[in-house]
Amino acid sequence: MASAPRPERVPRLLAGCLPPPPPPPTVGLLSMEQEETYLELYLDQCAAQDDLAPPRSPLFNPVVPYGMYILNASNPDTAFNSNPEVKETSGDFSSVDLSFLPDEVTQENKDQPVISSRHETEENSESQSPQSRLPLPSEQDIGLGLNSSSLSNSHSQLHPGDTDSVQPSPEKPNSDSLSLASITPMTPMTPVSECCGIVPQLQNIVSTVNLACKLDLKKIALHAKNAEYNPKRFAAVIMRIREPRTTALIFSSGKMVCTGAKSEEQSRLAARKYARVVQKLGFPARFLDFKIQNMVGSCDVRFPIRLEGLVLTHQQFSSYEPELFPGLIYRMVKPRIVLLIFVSGKVVLTGAKERSEIYEAFENIYPILKGFKKA
Amino acid sequence: MVVFGTTFFNFDSFIGKTDSIEIIGKSVFLCRYHNILPLLNDSGRYSLGDARRPLHETAVLVEDVVHTQLINLLQQAAEVSQLRGARVITPEDLLFLMRKDKKKLRRLLKYMFIRDYKSKIVKGIDEDDLLEDKLSGSNNTNKRQKIAQDFLNSIDQTGELLAMFEDDEVDEVKQERMERAERQTRIMDSAQYAEFCESRQLSFSKKASKFRDWLDCSSMEIKPNVVAMEILAYLAYETVAQLVDLALLVRQDMVTKAGDPFSHAISATFIQYHNSAESTAACGVEAHSDAIQPCHIREAIRRYSHKIGPLSPFTNAYRRNGMAFLAC
Repeated sequence: MASAPRPERVPRLLAGCLPPPPPPPTVGLLSMEQEETYLELYLDQCAAQDDLAPPRSPLFNPVVPYGMYILNASNPDTAFNSNPEVKETSGDFSSVDLSFLPDEVTQENKDQPVISSRHETEENSESQSPQSRLPLPSEQDIGLGLNSSSLSNSHSQLHPGDTDSVQPSPEKPNSDSLSLASITPMTPMTPVSECCGIVPQLQNIVSTVNLACKLDLKKIALHAKNAEYNPKRFAAVIMRIREPRTTALIFSSGKMVCTGAKSEEQSRLAARKYARVVQKLGFPARFLDFKIQNMVGSCDVRFPIRLEGLVLTHQQFSSYEPELFPGLIYRMVKPRIVLLIFVSGKVVLTGAKERSEIYEAFENIYPILKGFKKA
Repeated sequence: MVVFGTTFFNFDSFIGKTDSIEIIGKSVFLCRYHNILPLLNDSGRYSLGDARRPLHETAVLVEDVVHTQLINLLQQAAEVSQLRGARVITPEDLLFLMRKDKKKLRRLLKYMFIRDYKSKIVKGIDEDDLLEDKLSGSNNTNKRQKIAQDFLNSIDQTGELLAMFEDDEVDEVKQERMERAERQTRIMDSAQYAEFCESRQLSFSKKASKFRDWLDCSSMEIKPNVVAMEILAYLAYETVAQLVDLALLVRQDMVTKAGDPFSHAISATFIQYHNSAESTAACGVEAHSDAIQPCHIREAIRRYSHKIGPLSPFTNAYRRNGMAFLAC
């Protein structure tokens, strides 16, 4: 039943850009070519539908990477069943051009510790990278794969979205966690805090990825559109794409930095597009270790804040030098986020590796700010 | 050398009229920030209009003081630079001049670190800044911190200076300023507070070229580099802040409190200043306002110079020309 995973994956692919379509009429085998065309379709639709994507993503899933939500929303049972099949099918896709899409499968994936707590953010990013190295021939923005252990691990990662009471053991890929996942409704991490309806909006995401091959920057600069290369100034190619509107720094070692995206999925998609450009120029580019390095969010509490009071009472966390910078710099310890708080009520949050950190930081600071509201 | 009580320095001939007004404006705002914002007096009247005149005079005096002190500081820094055989005045020279006063040096170091930190954060937020930084080479992070650490490492004989980096004790002066600001802002309404915040954001580092011209850097043989200019701007700001702190203390002293055992022992020179023709007009007319008067400033400077008192012959060597630096 090699086909079982595919129909699941297809709606997931398209769901990235469009409202979840009805399941494909034929639950049957998809050929390799169909896979490829779906991939192309996806990329094109993403390019066309990008306006839709950003407003939807926070609604859909503010915390858990998008794919995991869909994984649960779609048939969890089938997903579970497809579990053993994936390992068989992985071999079948060797002939497909995988070079720029799937991340490497390694046996170590099974041993990767996976967290369930939303607070253990470092582990989150760590677990996401090995999970991205799974043999899925189809394009997906899902951070996880359908490997047996990772699947259940992914389910345990779904739990962060649940209320804090649910804290499943991360290591055990058991059916308990899976059934739990299928039963418990997936509650996205509540961005709507108890006290206010303000949700920080993501403004910028910086991510890195390893293309894992040496690159000839001159060749890239000559053949690629929208590429700048000035070896005397800086040893990297600066490339830009319009959709998602991002900038990438591509180094000759094969490492790449992607900035300017407004959501995690967009950052990943943009990085993949850059990787594709490099691949089309003839380099054996891969997509290893995609990691979000920094996320910046901003919001407005809509009342003026008396910063002098805040800096006095939270001295050990804040520094306020108005002649240097008009905002107060607040270094929150848990989560480790830096907030720039302005008199007007605007708040900028930076230093997050996960969306949840931004929301959590804002929830923590909001009552404090209310205490210093300037009437 | 600051000349007390005589004609104010005429900067209009020195720099363009608009510039001088702007710099005065800055001093006015800085003075306002530090306190002089006339608050509601007993009759509930917002006496901004009344205090305008002495405010202006105080600002003019403060500017005069700051200007003179900075020029002197710059001269001394140039001399130190020359000793080293360098072509520019670097932050190291300024740090060297400040080595005697640990508290002020620590405050300067903290400021430099905050500046580094702020540019690091702002860089992470703005995409363009990130590219700019990458393009200019990634050795810019913590540049000022490295400069300070390397230099203090080199001149530190006893380990005292390096101990300052780990030292985490509270800076009392800064603490007091923060508390004062907090007290002031608590009773302001949002319009006043907005104005207050705006005035706090003024600094000498915003219009760097005007600041340079004001200090007449172009006529000097050895000029300060960028980081040194930042430090000078900060020192100018600190000088104003110190002046205001001291003037407030003086003003507090002037108010005779019932039961104060030393009220009969106020120094003769102080009374003399208080009664001198120059300041009576200003002080007498505006005695009811809360603004800092020029007489307070002058008294503060006089006391700071340590020229009176039993230990005056033994005070610091680097004040050989009689100038006591407020900022260092």
